[in-house]
Amino acid sequence: MSGDDRASGAVAAPGEVVLERASRAFALRHERSRTLKEAALGRARAGRSWRSSARALDAVDLRIAPGEAVGVIGRNGAGKTSTLRCLAGIVPLDSGRAECGGRTVSLIELGAGFHDDFTGRENIYLNGALHGFDRTQMEARMEAIVEFSELGAFIDAPVKAYSSGMQLRLGFSIVAQLDADVMLIDEVLAVGDESFQRKCLARISERINDGATLVLVSHDPMAIERICRRVVVLEHGAVVFDGPVVAGLLFYHSLLGTERGASRSLRPADGSASEPGRIELTELDLRDADGASRRAFRPGEALRVELALRCATPTQRAVAALEVRDQRGERCFRTVATIGAVAGVVEVTFDVPRLALLGGDYDLAAGVFDQDAPPGALLDRVARFSVAPTGDGEGVADLRGRWSVRGRAQPAGEPVTESRAAEPDPRTPPARTARP
Amino acid sequence: MMVQGAAVTAAPYTAAGLGPGVDSRRRMLQYHFLFEQMVRRELRQKYKGSALGVLWYLVNPIVLMGAYALVFSVLLRVADVPDYPLFLLVGLIVWVFFAQALLAAAPSLVANAALIRRVRFPREAIPASVATVQLVTFLVMLALVTPVALAVRGTLGPALALLPVIVALLFCLVLGLSLAASVLHAHFRDVEPVLAAALLPWFFLTPIFLPIEDMPGASEHPLLRDALQWGNPIAPFVVAVRDVLFAGSAPTLGHMGYLAAIGIGALAIGVELFRRMEGELAVVL
Repeated sequence: MSGDDRASGAVAAPGEVVLERASRAFALRHERSRTLKEAALGRARAGRSWRSSARALDAVDLRIAPGEAVGVIGRNGAGKTSTLRCLAGIVPLDSGRAECGGRTVSLIELGAGFHDDFTGRENIYLNGALHGFDRTQMEARMEAIVEFSELGAFIDAPVKAYSSGMQLRLGFSIVAQLDADVMLIDEVLAVGDESFQRKCLARISERINDGATLVLVSHDPMAIERICRRVVVLEHGAVVFDGPVVAGLLFYHSLLGTERGASRSLRPADGSASEPGRIELTELDLRDADGASRRAFRPGEALRVELALRCATPTQRAVAALEVRDQRGERCFRTVATIGAVAGVVEVTFDVPRLALLGGDYDLAAGVFDQDAPPGALLDRVARFSVAPTGDGEGVADLRGRWSVRGRAQPAGEPVTESRAAEPDPRTPPARTARP
Repeated sequence: MMVQGAAVTAAPYTAAGLGPGVDSRRRMLQYHFLFEQMVRRELRQKYKGSALGVLWYLVNPIVLMGAYALVFSVLLRVADVPDYPLFLLVGLIVWVFFAQALLAAAPSLVANAALIRRVRFPREAIPASVATVQLVTFLVMLALVTPVALAVRGTLGPALALLPVIVALLFCLVLGLSLAASVLHAHFRDVEPVLAAALLPWFFLTPIFLPIEDMPGASEHPLLRDALQWGNPIAPFVVAVRDVLFAGSAPTLGHMGYLAAIGIGALAIGVELFRRMEGELAVVL
């Protein structure tokens, strides 16, 4: 029976996530529950070898260290949500081991178990209780949850009066404030308005920095790209890729590409080139003013990004994209340039006369693709570089402003001394999108 | 005190090969708040928008009492029991608690499928909270009926001290059967209709209208009498509560031992069945 495959000794450390040879099959049947008659006739189960079953997880091995943020992607039915459910302990495994160390919270499906007649506040208590928190722990977190949710007076209205966006806010706010060791989040970030999404991502990054582990299942490559450093691609219940996010998304993209090949032929042939050229980014380098390859810069220095792309079959609509991200994965800057017709090898540069970034580590992601390619998941190369910290200014963007004070005679209170030049607010990209 | 007993017994949460092996006692403490929230939720659902609230649960046995008193005492004249309506009422509240709890618990897991599919928590909290809410209503009725019985029958005496023990064991029986019914119904959806169909004949086979010794045919069929008295798990509880409240006499030691065996046995079976069958809940729901 299911109770026998207990953990083989080792208990996962807080924040650690372990799947060991984890397998799980589901019966393929129209009705999910049996009737007594079926059971009496002995048609239903013999062990768990269902007549027709689908393997949702097939001997999956996965080990996630505390503080890691891992994105799980894959096509529909690849086993993403099943993986999450097994990790959360909602669905038992047929064999193998699934374990999350420490306290685990799960946000699976929208409105994670809200009670319609309860107010938002009461649902916060109930949800906290479901996750194993007690009253005092929940009371301590209540204000933070209510504030994060931005629900205002609605927090004391029954949840049935909420829109789906409001339910999402509430659900996410609870999970975000429960400070668990492991967060298991499924898809839900796709809902909700842009600003709240951003706030969620920021909050998740914060939790990860504090040492929490995240397993995020999503169809949205952008969300994964922003938060996760590591990606697991599932296909038919097996891990087919496990590695850095950029390579993983590219891999996933190629998986999807095989599917799209069929639908493309349905479109009226545009021009003579039936198959748009496959463009490859072969080189990505950062150079200083003297043309030397470097990975560390000072604010205000000149920087040149060099790309080399290769195109096996000529294409008319090559596009190059660059993106700079801060440590939390937030985009600081993105630019897309139309390169046009490409055949063979082409070198492209992007010149930054004065680096307007403040001190810190950054990722420069670059990609080239055909204009017809779908958006997202296209920045397949990353170069990490750092900018030396300087005395003034915090954040990401160096606005190069200058303070000046007039009428110094009367000490008019406390003069503003802190440079607010560079709020790390991604809504206002620090630089204009340039088109070289 | 009884309510806490429920939390304790509902606690053995087995993770079927999953998760950290937190010992059940700590888990029980940890999820105490969950249990409280679930009970609150059940209460809210039950009395949502009803002006009389918990009093409605008194209406049912009182109406039944009136009807049966009329039929058996006035019309058929088979019941030769003093204070017959009270005799009926004492048996009825025990039966109503038993039947209502089972009927409410059976579909409870299915009704909470959304929770079960999304979050991991000790699922026995669901049927246990349903049974506990029924216990609360039962205790309210008991609190109303007891003074009446003591006044009318003059049964205030040492036997009354056994009442909490009997009620605790009755709750064990109800909780055990609730756990079993809910998890069975989740796997086999005909459990609830079967239960609903069985409860009516079961009611008539339970000695609620008459003490079983007073039934005219009982002496001719001693085997049948014994089967009805001891083979029906709820019958000894009805008889014991009536002994204490209505007759003012303590059940025999053997009777009490039998109650303990039924109550604890049913609870053990219910907990074990739940443990074995809860693993697949998120899949079958």
